[in-house]
Amino acid sequence: FVFLILSWGTWQKDVIIQSDAPDTLLLEKQGNYIVSYGSKKDDYEYCVSEYLRMSVIYWDLIGQLHSMNREEILTCIQSCQHECGGISVSIGRGPHLLYTLSAVQILSMILWNMFRVYRNKMALLLEILGGKLIRDSLFVQWQLWLYWGSWMLLMWKRQLNLSCMNFDGGFGCRPGSESHAGQDSCLLLVSCTK
Amino acid sequence: HGRLKVKTSEEQAEAKRLEREQKLKLYQAATQTVFQKRQAGELDESVLELTSQILGANPDFATLWNCRREVLQQLEVQKSPEELATLVKAELGFLESCLRVNPKSYGTWHHRCWLLGRLPEPNWARELELCARFLEVDERNFHCWDYRRFVAAQAAVPPAEELAFTDSLITRNFSNYSSWHYRSCLLPQLHPQPDSGPQGRLPEDVLLKELELVQNAFFTDPNDQSAWFYHRWLLGRDCFFPQLIPRTPCLLLKGTVDGGPGSPLAVEWRTPEGRNRPSHVWLCDLPATSLNDQLPQHTFRVIWTAGDAQKECVLLKGRQEGWCRDSATDEQLFRCELSVEKSTVLQSELESCKELQELEPENKWCLLTIILLMRALDPLQYEKETLQYFQTLKAVDPMRAAYLDDLRSKFLLENSVLKMEYAEVRVLHLGHKDLTVLCHLEQLLLVTHLDLSHNRLRALPPALAALRCLEVLQANDNVIESLDGVTNLPRLQELVLCNNRLQQPAVLQPLASCPRLTLLNLQGNPLCQAEGSSEHLAELLPSVSSILT
Repeated sequence: FVFLILSWGTWQKDVIIQSDAPDTLLLEKQGNYIVSYGSKKDDYEYCVSEYLRMSVIYWDLIGQLHSMNREEILTCIQSCQHECGGISVSIGRGPHLLYTLSAVQILSMILWNMFRVYRNKMALLLEILGGKLIRDSLFVQWQLWLYWGSWMLLMWKRQLNLSCMNFDGGFGCRPGSESHAGQDSCLLLVSCTK
Repeated sequence: HGRLKVKTSEEQAEAKRLEREQKLKLYQAATQTVFQKRQAGELDESVLELTSQILGANPDFATLWNCRREVLQQLEVQKSPEELATLVKAELGFLESCLRVNPKSYGTWHHRCWLLGRLPEPNWARELELCARFLEVDERNFHCWDYRRFVAAQAAVPPAEELAFTDSLITRNFSNYSSWHYRSCLLPQLHPQPDSGPQGRLPEDVLLKELELVQNAFFTDPNDQSAWFYHRWLLGRDCFFPQLIPRTPCLLLKGTVDGGPGSPLAVEWRTPEGRNRPSHVWLCDLPATSLNDQLPQHTFRVIWTAGDAQKECVLLKGRQEGWCRDSATDEQLFRCELSVEKSTVLQSELESCKELQELEPENKWCLLTIILLMRALDPLQYEKETLQYFQTLKAVDPMRAAYLDDLRSKFLLENSVLKMEYAEVRVLHLGHKDLTVLCHLEQLLLVTHLDLSHNRLRALPPALAALRCLEVLQANDNVIESLDGVTNLPRLQELVLCNNRLQQPAVLQPLASCPRLTLLNLQGNPLCQAEGSSEHLAELLPSVSSILT
C-alpha cells in the first residue's frame, strides 16, 4: 500500500543546523552521562524521574553494551516482572506497557537465549491484551497501543491493524487520533521487516 | 547591625542543596507511605491526600494514578452518594489543576477518562467546555483532542456539531492541522457510503465546499502545510478504492454447444507468488477433463459466492487465450470522475496555484498541488507539463528527490496504462523514462513484450509475477540488483539484463522457476567478472540454453 509518511516536515519551523554541528552520535558521552546520573541515588531529580527508569537503562545500554553489568540488569528486570507478565518501570511499581517494551528491548540486546524464558510470560500478556481484558492493576495506555504493538510485532510477527491510519498516511495513537511521528516511525520499522 | 544579611553564592548553593534534600525526603516519605498502605490494603482518603501531593508536581508517576483508582473504587462501595459526589467534585478539580501544571500528561487525561466513564450522571457539556479551554491554549494538544473525541463519543455529540467546532477553530487560525485532521474523520461519518459502494467517498457538493474552504486557507498562508495536505486528501475523495473482497470466487464452466448450464467447478485459487495474501491476481487450475477440444468454444464464468459479481469470458477453439476486461478509462482507475462543476473548480484552482507559484517560487506545496491538480483534470494532456513541474519541484525540495522520482514513475506508469486503452496493446515500451520504481503491474497482465530498458530501476519486484503472459522482458541499462519478481513466469522466454548491478550468480535463483526461459543476456554486470560464474550459472539454470556474459 502507498505510504505517505509525514516526511515533509513543518516547513517554516525547520531549524537550520550549522555546518560545524557534530554529525556522529556521541554514544560514549551519552552512556557516561546516564551512568553517572544513576549513581546519584540521593538526587531529587533522579528519584522523581524513576517513572522512566527502565527506558533510561535501555538508552544507556546502547552506548555501553560492552561495559554493562549483565547480571545486575537481569536481576533488576526479573524483580520488575509481575504475575501477569508485564514489567514495571522499576521495583515496586505497577506493570506498564512502555516499560515492558523497554525491558524486552534490553533483553533482546543482552541475551537472546535468556529472552526466551521471559517470552512465555510475555505471550501470556499478549493474549490478555488481545482478548481486550483490561485489568486496572495494569496501567494500559491504549494511546500507546500502536507503539507497543508494533514493537511486539517485530518479535512475534502478527497482523497489522490499519485502523489508525489517517488522511495524511500517518498513524495516530488510536483510531481517530492525529498522526504522530512516534507511531509512524514504529510502523515504518515494522513494515520494513518481513 | 540592622543590615540585611546577604548570602554568598556558596551559601546559596548549600541552601539550595539542603532544600532539595528536604524535598527529596518528603517525596520519598510520601511515596513510601503510599506503597505501604497499599500493600496493607489501607485504601483510604489519606492515600488520596498523599498521592495528590506527589502527583501535583509529578503527574507522570503512573503507579500513583493506579493507587488513586484503587482507593476511589474502594470508597465507592463505602461512601454514601452525597459523600461520593463531593469526592468526585474534588477529584475533578484536582485533575484540572494537574492539567494546568502539565496539559500533556498521559496519566492525567487517562484518569479523567476513567473517572468520567464511571459516573452515573456525567456532565459532558462541562467536559467539552474544558476541552475548548485547553485547546485555546494549545490547539495542537493531541491529548486534549483525543479526550474531546472520547467525550463526543460518550455524549453522542452529532458529528455536525463537532464539524462546526473545527469550523470555528479554522476560521480563527487556518494553521490548524489537528482541526483539519478531525474534519477528515468527521466528514465520512456525516456522509456514510452504502456498504456495497466504495468507502471513503464524499458527495460532490460537500467536496466542493471543502475545496473552497481549504483554498482560502492555503492562499492566506501558503507556508502552512496543513491545508495543502488536506487538499491532497480531498482530491482523492471521489476515487475508486480497491476493496479487499473476503469471499473466494467459484468458477462456472459452460461448455455445451446448446449453451446449457454447467455446474460450478470446484477449483482452488492461489496467488502467483503462492502466498495467501490479498492480491490483484488469482490463479486456478482446471481439472484436466474440463475442456473438450471438439467444442467451438468454452465459456468461463467466475461467480463470487454471494452472487453479486460475475465475470465471463470466452475461449475459442484453437486459441490459447481468451479474456474479458473492464476498461481502465471507464472505471476511472487512477482518478476521479469529473462533473462539469468540479472540473471548473479544479481548473480555476490550477490557475490560481500557478499564479501563486510565480509569487512564491520556493513553495514546494504549491508545486506539488499543481501536479496533483493536473493529474486530477487530465493526466494525459498534462503529461509533459507535469514532468516539467517535477523538475522544478525536485530543485526546490532536493531532500525529497527520491520520493518525487518514485511518484513521477508512478504517474508515468499510470499514463502508460491509460494509453494502452486506445489500442489492444500487448507490447509495451517503457524505456528511457527515468523510472525508479514499478507499480500498477497487475494492469499489465496481458503484456507479452515489455521494454523497461534505460531507466533507474533497482529491482524487478515480486509484483512482476502478475505478468503471466510475458514472453520477452528487456531490462537492460538499469541499476538492478535484485530479481525477486522474475519467478514462476510461465511464458518468459527471453530476458535481457545487460548493464545492471547484478553482483553474484545467486541473484538469478528466481529465474530457475521460469520453465520456458531460453535466452538470458547478462553482459556488463559485475557478476560476469567473478571467477567461475559461467559454470555457476549453468548449474543454477540448466534449462536456459543461451546465457550471455
